[in-house]
Amino acid sequence: MSSQRERSRVLQATKKTGELIMEYFSKAWDAKAQGKPIAWITVFTPVELLRALDIYPIAPEHFGAMCSARGVALDYLEEAEKKGYSQNLCSYSRCGLGYALSGMRGLMPSPDFLLTFRNSCDVYVKWWQSLHMHLGTPLFVGEAPYVLTLEDLDNYVLDYIVKQLEQLVKIVEEKFRLKFDMERFVNIIKLSDRASELWLETLKLRRFRPCPLGGRDSASDIFPLVVMQGTEEAIKFYEELLGEVKERVTKAEGAIENEKFRLLFDGIWLWYAFDLIKYFEDRGAVFVYEPYSEAWAYRLDASKPLESVARKILAMGLNLDIDLRIERFSESIKEFQIDGAVLFSNRSCKSWSAPQQITADILSKKFDIPHLLFEADMADPRQYAEAQVKNRVDAFLEVLGES
Amino acid sequence: MAIPSELRDLCKNPTTILNRYKDSGVKVIGYTCSYVPEELIISAGLQPYRITNIGADVSALTPSFVCPFASAVLENMVRLEGFFDGFVIAHTCDPMWRLYDILKKKISKPLFLLRVPHNTDNEHSLEFFKLELIRFKKFLEENSGATIDENALFGATRLCNENRSLLKDIYMLNEHGQFKINALDRFPLVLASMWMPKVEINTQIKTLHFNHSERDGDVRLHLNGTSIYDMDLIRIIGDSGGFVASDDLCTGSRYFWSNVEKSEDPISALAYRYLKRTPCPSQGPIEDRLEYINFMVKEFRAQGVITFAGRFCDPILYDSVHIREMLSKNGVATTLIDYENSTQEIGRIKTRMEAFIESIGG
Repeated sequence: MSSQRERSRVLQATKKTGELIMEYFSKAWDAKAQGKPIAWITVFTPVELLRALDIYPIAPEHFGAMCSARGVALDYLEEAEKKGYSQNLCSYSRCGLGYALSGMRGLMPSPDFLLTFRNSCDVYVKWWQSLHMHLGTPLFVGEAPYVLTLEDLDNYVLDYIVKQLEQLVKIVEEKFRLKFDMERFVNIIKLSDRASELWLETLKLRRFRPCPLGGRDSASDIFPLVVMQGTEEAIKFYEELLGEVKERVTKAEGAIENEKFRLLFDGIWLWYAFDLIKYFEDRGAVFVYEPYSEAWAYRLDASKPLESVARKILAMGLNLDIDLRIERFSESIKEFQIDGAVLFSNRSCKSWSAPQQITADILSKKFDIPHLLFEADMADPRQYAEAQVKNRVDAFLEVLGES
Repeated sequence: MAIPSELRDLCKNPTTILNRYKDSGVKVIGYTCSYVPEELIISAGLQPYRITNIGADVSALTPSFVCPFASAVLENMVRLEGFFDGFVIAHTCDPMWRLYDILKKKISKPLFLLRVPHNTDNEHSLEFFKLELIRFKKFLEENSGATIDENALFGATRLCNENRSLLKDIYMLNEHGQFKINALDRFPLVLASMWMPKVEINTQIKTLHFNHSERDGDVRLHLNGTSIYDMDLIRIIGDSGGFVASDDLCTGSRYFWSNVEKSEDPISALAYRYLKRTPCPSQGPIEDRLEYINFMVKEFRAQGVITFAGRFCDPILYDSVHIREMLSKNGVATTLIDYENSTQEIGRIKTRMEAFIESIGG
């Protein structure tokens, strides 16, 4: 097995994310001790705005993923289920609710404010309402209507978000006696934009053969763009990562040794089963593109800071019309020379999974590439039939080998 | 007095009316939920028809863990496409939202997604929703060739208001602990209002008189949930010694509880009514919904609350925790009955129902 282990190589920069995450939570507790407000946010909410107000953002979704990856999610999942939350509900939400219901004595300090924008799923609204009901913490529910055409990123839909952001600033200023500093906000926007730029540049290098950055890297490397947007630390991380990936390209060194198949992965990762990515890699298949990895980066215009952040909230991948999503899939299949698509039908993410079959059929037909659609859950290991999934992976790779 | 048998038959097979519309050249717009203002459809000279899950199995186009109700609605939209001149889907919950994605790639008829804000008590949500209704109006005009003028809209609003008032008057007969109308007579009137021309159903309702349901002494219950088209679910409650005193269903009181107020700006009035109406489980704030359920339970003297949850219905499954907490503090018994296919699981559901009603004292 040692030779198999050597076949896939995780980047040095990726290995640092664990430390970065622990530092992030440690700083959250410092902020709490200093009396700074802590906001529990759903991802793809305006972190830049909170940072400009000196509010510390924490994403329970990320916490759920991390608990699952470290094998400690079950206690929280069961705590929520004991309260009556069905196993059919999003596992991130069950993990976050279980944590809230069990006294919040772990990595996340208790929230002073709850913030969500409904741009990925309606679970955001329901989950945050539930937290609000259990904890009594003030809640702001922002609305981000589905983007039907790109015009929505400039018309009354965008105005609606901008107005809500202005409202949010006012509410938070009053509630916590804070002052929004536009100059600080603009600087944060610039930092956030730079981190996105670096990550997008890094992702583009995956077009090279062999692919320098695999799925095990991209799954971890997104972290600084989840809650650390607008910080120097995030930029430092992505600069190092880009440097290392460029070096790999120069040396023609891939994420795996013998790259046979270049794959697209559609979905959130199975956090408790990272070995599944390695299972592909050990068989010569590397993930070269994931909409999930790309979704975290969004270029911001510091000359229009509020509009820019509003657009970022709206343009989150799942909030874009199916035709826009299929267009991006099509571009990526060409850009990254993709041989096959793996689609993870995620029991927790109905919003993502519901139209997956139709998307897969369209792409397979258009590009004549095989696809594998398998069912499991992103954070609840009880919903993963490992042997069955791996069996299907074997069959899929066999088909790829023949095509 | 019971309702005419034709109405009961219609509930079993509402597509019969689609045949009638087709034969008589009536143009029909199919819609998915009670957040879609029928007033706008009617004022364009079109007939609104609420799409159900009746007669359809789950669609092979959705994964097994997506709401079987929405999936069956999708199946019916694809299966019955030929009867319709267009469809409108309201973005309420995730499955309904994603039906739009799937249908966009699957059908050829005009399709519209009405983006309903989830945060209904935000002033900016109201402004936005008004603009969405204007976009919807334009969609209807483009696809019908008609121009929706203010008079047409005022007329349609009057008709819909009359319908809602008639349904509410009947509903209120059970107020304060009375047993005047059986749910098996009441629900079909609501459902028929979603399928039949308003003038026709309003005329029929006006001829009906209800004084006593003969269920006096049964355990009074409130039904919580989303949409119920399967009248057998209602029937087994009566068979188990229960009396449906009130509900907060999308196919029940939420459809007709409030009217559109008089206004010189009919679109604004519509936006206000549809956004501020009694909230669906997928909308917020949750406090409004809890308050409404609490009010209904007290007003109609319900002794217990049954939550009907279609399996994988996220909004209901989250809310049920808070509904149970609130009601148990008030000493009201609750039960959650989840199912994937009510017809196939009716025996199991009835056993649960009987046990619940018995525990209350039926």
